[in-house]
Amino acid sequence: MGTRLALYLGLGVVAVLVRLLWELRFAGAGSYALAAVAALAAGLWAIQGKPLPLAWLGLAIGLAGTVAGYGLPWLSLLIPLGVFVGYWGWARHVSEKDLGAFWGWALVWPAVGLLLVWQVIPAFYALWLSFLDRFNFIGHSRFVGLLNYEILLTRDPLFWKAMGNTFWFVAFTVPIGIGLATLMAILLNEKVKLQGLFRTLYFLPYITALTAAAAVWDWIYNPEFGFLNWLLGTPGFQWLSTPEGIFARILRPLGINLSGFWAGPSVAFVAVMAMSIWHFLGYQIVVLLAGLQNIPKEYYEAAELDGASWWQKVRFITWPLLSPTTFFLFTLSLIGAFQVFTQVLILTPTGGVLQDTLTLALYLYNKGFRDSNFSYASALAVVVFIMILVLTLVQRRVLERRVTYEA
Amino acid sequence: MRLKPLLGQITVYTVLIAGSAIMAFPFYWMLATSLKSPQEAQQAVPVWVPERLKPANWAAAARLGAQGGSMWWGGYRAGRSVVLRVYTGEKGPEPVVTIPTPPAAFSDPRADNTRIETAFEDGWWEVTLTNGGQESFRLLPVRLRIAKSYPTYRLELQPDSISSRGEDWELSWSNLAPGVLGYVLHNFREAWYAAPFGRYFFNSFFTALTQVLGGLFIAAMAAFALARIPFPGKEFVFSLIIATLMIPGEVLLIPNYILLSRLGWLDTYYALIVPWLASVFGIFLLRQFYLSLPQDLFDAARIDGATYWSQLWRIALPLSVPGMVTYGIFTFLGAYNALLWPLIVTNSPEMRTIQLGLQAFIGEAGSDYGALMAASTLSILPIVLGYFLAQKQFVQGVARSGIK
Repeated sequence: MGTRLALYLGLGVVAVLVRLLWELRFAGAGSYALAAVAALAAGLWAIQGKPLPLAWLGLAIGLAGTVAGYGLPWLSLLIPLGVFVGYWGWARHVSEKDLGAFWGWALVWPAVGLLLVWQVIPAFYALWLSFLDRFNFIGHSRFVGLLNYEILLTRDPLFWKAMGNTFWFVAFTVPIGIGLATLMAILLNEKVKLQGLFRTLYFLPYITALTAAAAVWDWIYNPEFGFLNWLLGTPGFQWLSTPEGIFARILRPLGINLSGFWAGPSVAFVAVMAMSIWHFLGYQIVVLLAGLQNIPKEYYEAAELDGASWWQKVRFITWPLLSPTTFFLFTLSLIGAFQVFTQVLILTPTGGVLQDTLTLALYLYNKGFRDSNFSYASALAVVVFIMILVLTLVQRRVLERRVTYEA
Repeated sequence: MRLKPLLGQITVYTVLIAGSAIMAFPFYWMLATSLKSPQEAQQAVPVWVPERLKPANWAAAARLGAQGGSMWWGGYRAGRSVVLRVYTGEKGPEPVVTIPTPPAAFSDPRADNTRIETAFEDGWWEVTLTNGGQESFRLLPVRLRIAKSYPTYRLELQPDSISSRGEDWELSWSNLAPGVLGYVLHNFREAWYAAPFGRYFFNSFFTALTQVLGGLFIAAMAAFALARIPFPGKEFVFSLIIATLMIPGEVLLIPNYILLSRLGWLDTYYALIVPWLASVFGIFLLRQFYLSLPQDLFDAARIDGATYWSQLWRIALPLSVPGMVTYGIFTFLGAYNALLWPLIVTNSPEMRTIQLGLQAFIGEAGSDYGALMAASTLSILPIVLGYFLAQKQFVQGVARSGIK
């Protein structure tokens, strides 16, 4: 027997999951009955050979759970519970290997079950939704194949606006953030006094909630009474509602007129980026500092003996040996850029003037929860998913080759 | 690494100090604004030290607060009199004192039941406000008009705003009997009363803590099985868990919203907690910890007849406390700071988390930046306090996340 016990447990849990799917209207009563009967049959099979009273009791509890589960879904939990009652009787008669099989599954099932219900199945469900026409809570929707994708990719300027913004977000925040963080981390790693205090100050923004942080920056950016306008001597400048691209703004005095994508991110979006860099910098510094402290001191000592300058040491020892950490941060920031939401919502609640601060996450929120167009939003989510996947793979292929993993 | 001694050192410290000043400035500005009156917050030239932080005003605030209610939190209780002195030197036109009524109110018991007496003493006007009604009040807002013909005048408690009205100056206090704490923390108290922040805090703490504890329990079980128990199908389970890592959060927003609505769980604590209970990050982190423990420990326990369950509870868990702390901090931070998910799955004010409450408050507070910054400060306070208490764990946890 042995693995039979794990099978019995597994089918019991599956029966509960199917009961849940029935409740969610993804499965019918028939499939629940099938799963429950399969679980009980596996139970009978497991009992074969060693019919103990407790095992029969467990089976009886499972049977009761199956029946009760018809009315009250959560009572179907009695089915796996019955397995444990049975196990109680069996435990002494079971081999070491079989015990492992049973306990292994018993311990991973809660996590696996939750991941299945809240992550794996929903991911496929999102894919399915994206093939429907205007799915929401009202009325029926029909299967339209790739229509949503076609509209999204070929006829939706806002999607491309959001894509462009995401591109600029990555192009600005990632190099500037990682560059600044590397500089600060290298300086902090010089035996400075008060290192702890500096680290505390740099790290503080990262643990502050984005909502509160964005509220403060909104106040700093305030056109009339904001600190920034006082500091720069630009009273009344509308930091958060100037849709003009920054490249266009910089180059206009030279007689160069840029428009569309090449005008660059709007002033408002750059203000959002500045706030985002500030927020995330402490995290990058702490991670890089840990990376720096992992570099063996001997390299520097050897370099010093050879008369290397400070810059040479940074360029030829620190930078290459820090590259795995930098790569990790790069990947993380790239994925993070696709999820920028909170600071945009607080700083420019409507997505800015002319949607100039629209990000993919904000667009998804607007489509899904303001326009209640779940299918279109799902199509958007799937596209984002594929893009992240492709980017991560490309990154692995192209960038990771330049990463020095071994010292 | 050693820089060229002196010049290098100076450069390093200059850059570090400048950088930390920029990093810390928004916090200072939030705190400073949260202690300012509206007029002070809206100065063309920034006010670096708010009036409410000056000890000279505290004594007056305490005295006036004690007259109206208590020395600490002030008030305007039934039967009490609050006396304001306006030092003018000579006797000129009598200052006019009124209690402003809130706009769109039919009657204001505070203004109606207050007796105002003005008398000139030796070089000062003594204005006495007596609460003749049965009702006690938290605040005593007062407006005073004083003729511009006085060359100078001095007040015990600095007014919150001064504006010009024809021949007069109009001075106003949002609370003339504040008490020390009521004076300094005026915006905090008003923000606290303006929205149910207590409830918001409870929701945030409750959901975040449940997520941490439940998630820890589930992740520890799975991680232990994956690290220490040989069982058929282990590789499959492991690759399933790795696969879920690739699913970005955005993909799950809509389907999970629909699932929750079909379960009837929208706008409940379940919606805030259950979908994020199983954490792949936690499973990986703890599995790494359990793998680093020596196998002998578990073999010894097995020989002594310990089941897998008690191996998990008696050996693996106590030895992986640092990992659990890291996981706990991250999960708590994530749950406490989240805005998007609570925004989607809750809609009644009772279910709002603190971030959502703050977001709603931003809409309501309008241009009252003092109250807004006070609310922001309140919302980050628990995390910042926790950070200062457990700084090492925070920083190590983050550092650990970056090293493979």
